[in-house]
Amino acid sequence: MAWKKAVIILLLVALVLGCAQQPQKPKVTPTPTAAPVEKIVIGAPLSLSGKYAKEGQQSLWGIQAAVKWVNDVHGGIDVGGKKVKIEFKYYDDESKKETVQSLVERLITVDKVNFLLAPYSSGLTLAGAPIADKHKVLYMSHGGASDRIFEQGYKYVVQTLSPASKYQTGFLDMIKETDPEAKKVAFVYEDAEFSKAVFAGAKSHAEELGFEIVFDKTYPPKPTDLTPILSELKAANPDIVLGGGHFADGQLLASQMADLKVDVKAISIIVAPALPAFYEALGTNAEGICGPGQWEIGVKYSPEAAEKLGIDWYGPTQDEFLQLFKEFAGDEEPSYHAAEAAAAILAYAKAIETAQSTDSDSVRDTMSTLDYMTFFGRWKIDPETGKQIGHDMIVFQWQGGEKVIVWPPEAANAQPYYPIPTWDEKEAGKLAKYE
Amino acid sequence: MAFVDQLLTNLLYGAILGSVYGLATMGLSLIFGVLRIVNVGHGAFIMIGAFTAFWMFILYGIPPLVSISIALIVGLALGFVIFYTVIKRLIDAPELATLLATFGIGLFLEELAKLFWGPDYRGFSWNVGSVNMGMTIIPVSKIYALISSIIIAFVLYLWFQRTKLGAAVRAVVEDKEGAMVCGINVTRIYALSFAIGIGLTVASGVLITLFVPVGINPYMGGEYTLKAFVIAVLGGLASPWGAFYAGFIFGLLENGSYTILGLLPNVEPFSLTRFVAFTALLIILLVKPTGLLGGEK
Repeated sequence: MAWKKAVIILLLVALVLGCAQQPQKPKVTPTPTAAPVEKIVIGAPLSLSGKYAKEGQQSLWGIQAAVKWVNDVHGGIDVGGKKVKIEFKYYDDESKKETVQSLVERLITVDKVNFLLAPYSSGLTLAGAPIADKHKVLYMSHGGASDRIFEQGYKYVVQTLSPASKYQTGFLDMIKETDPEAKKVAFVYEDAEFSKAVFAGAKSHAEELGFEIVFDKTYPPKPTDLTPILSELKAANPDIVLGGGHFADGQLLASQMADLKVDVKAISIIVAPALPAFYEALGTNAEGICGPGQWEIGVKYSPEAAEKLGIDWYGPTQDEFLQLFKEFAGDEEPSYHAAEAAAAILAYAKAIETAQSTDSDSVRDTMSTLDYMTFFGRWKIDPETGKQIGHDMIVFQWQGGEKVIVWPPEAANAQPYYPIPTWDEKEAGKLAKYE
Repeated sequence: MAFVDQLLTNLLYGAILGSVYGLATMGLSLIFGVLRIVNVGHGAFIMIGAFTAFWMFILYGIPPLVSISIALIVGLALGFVIFYTVIKRLIDAPELATLLATFGIGLFLEELAKLFWGPDYRGFSWNVGSVNMGMTIIPVSKIYALISSIIIAFVLYLWFQRTKLGAAVRAVVEDKEGAMVCGINVTRIYALSFAIGIGLTVASGVLITLFVPVGINPYMGGEYTLKAFVIAVLGGLASPWGAFYAGFIFGLLENGSYTILGLLPNVEPFSLTRFVAFTALLIILLVKPTGLLGGEK
């Protein structure tokens, strides 16, 4: 019997030792800053299929171009006197929240990435945020603009693009400046996380500017027919219309405003008009339609502009970025989804270089102090929430088949065309372009 | 006055949309009625139809109205191919197998479409003018959509009722063994019905582009699959004609309820229209559990 007792005691001892070893582990592992960093792994769930396939693909190309700049042009990120390359690891999240959550978990625990990029859209960004925050891994939003993401008290979630609440404010400023007589404004937008945040911001800004809100209604996600809401909107007889949500419904909104001949002086739709497919699908009906943009080819951010503001410049110039982007995307031009995703990579590179560390905590602390400019615009976050406060939205307008930047004046390369032609005039071939 | 105008406008647009919904569901009901297979990949075939209209218009300038027949042929061919490669082996298989197979075919077609055509939301403008009805303006292309779907549904009805093949299909539906005894090649009837079902669905994709010529994308079918299932159930599942009527009713409910809901204070009428449409579906099914035209067991 004695040997049995001995075995039990031995087992117990082994068990205690085994348990005791666990907490000792971190002591054995060197801290990330002390060890020579071999590579920096940035991981991301990307929507390469499903409803955000288009935006996801653009993000991927943008990221690849930025990674290439950091690794090949810049020569790697300088950490402790050593040039370290970025390795980018991604999976297709199928535009689904559940997939995003399991992929974020996987990237952190299995692939052991140093930093994370969030997926496209506010909804998906919100889905992954708590997991990244729980694991204390920095999680950068480059396509999640909703302000709500930054009202959850997360420490490790930061933003590179302008928050949703700023999306339509520039357009309202522009109308106020161009035509002080235009008073009646209508809002018609998707009942979704992102668009609701945009139009909450737009509404309070419109009230501040003294506009009269004559129509304010939402439509459910993925509508097949907007006739009911648009015929009601038409009866409200607004001067300007602001609306949209995602790509398909924005396209539908413009197309059915044309069907019902809802003539107004100016239209601003979020998301949809930004992509060339919008004009290809609608033809001359797209003339004069405005949209807010995080970024647009032709914006005038440059090292000189940064110098004027007294801040640093980081990353490729716009021309260099376009060149790099071409290597991955071929003939396809970058949309703002590509630029903001690239800017997120550059933000990591800049912050790691400044912090001289790959530790999420010290990089996050450094980020709070950064204020610099890339080809995407200014980058500065609110130290508390991580929300982007440095970056400004631009307003573009389709003029003669070209997307031109009409607001703010310092970034504009054309005059706003106002009021826009009626739908009948557009069908007859009239363009929203000054000769 | 404005209220009546808007109600009429919504009902009119609802009727047009409903006719397109109806036709988009007939194929689903036909396939279920004859083969007892639920085509979960239904939406993908609608997408193929929409792309057919798009490419025919963009590349060759063929108006969508002509593309309907092209889509019908494409759909028939696709239907035969899928039947003889996949479905034929699954006729007597458990339901789960056919569900997975059709789901898989749907995914396959969507990803294939994305591979070839990319994930862009495409669209085209086929401008044939519009009609001013006083209370509203309707593009002529939408009126074409309404008329074409009624004609297609009617021709199919005649084919079923007046031709020998149509009678054979009905015989197989009623009694498979009996039909076999009478010398009907059941497999061939299955193949034909499946192909016609797919053909109708692909053709309805063209009609959808007549109604909404934008938003054409490899994944556009999802929304229509969901609605098609609801409409199919409403119509009596196995009855293509029931599906057509049910489509009308669904379209009218979806759009018509908007104006009435708008009278309620502090509600977003649009979010409630789907609720109303589905509630109506529940009530109809409570009263008539077999659906509108579902006479059989």
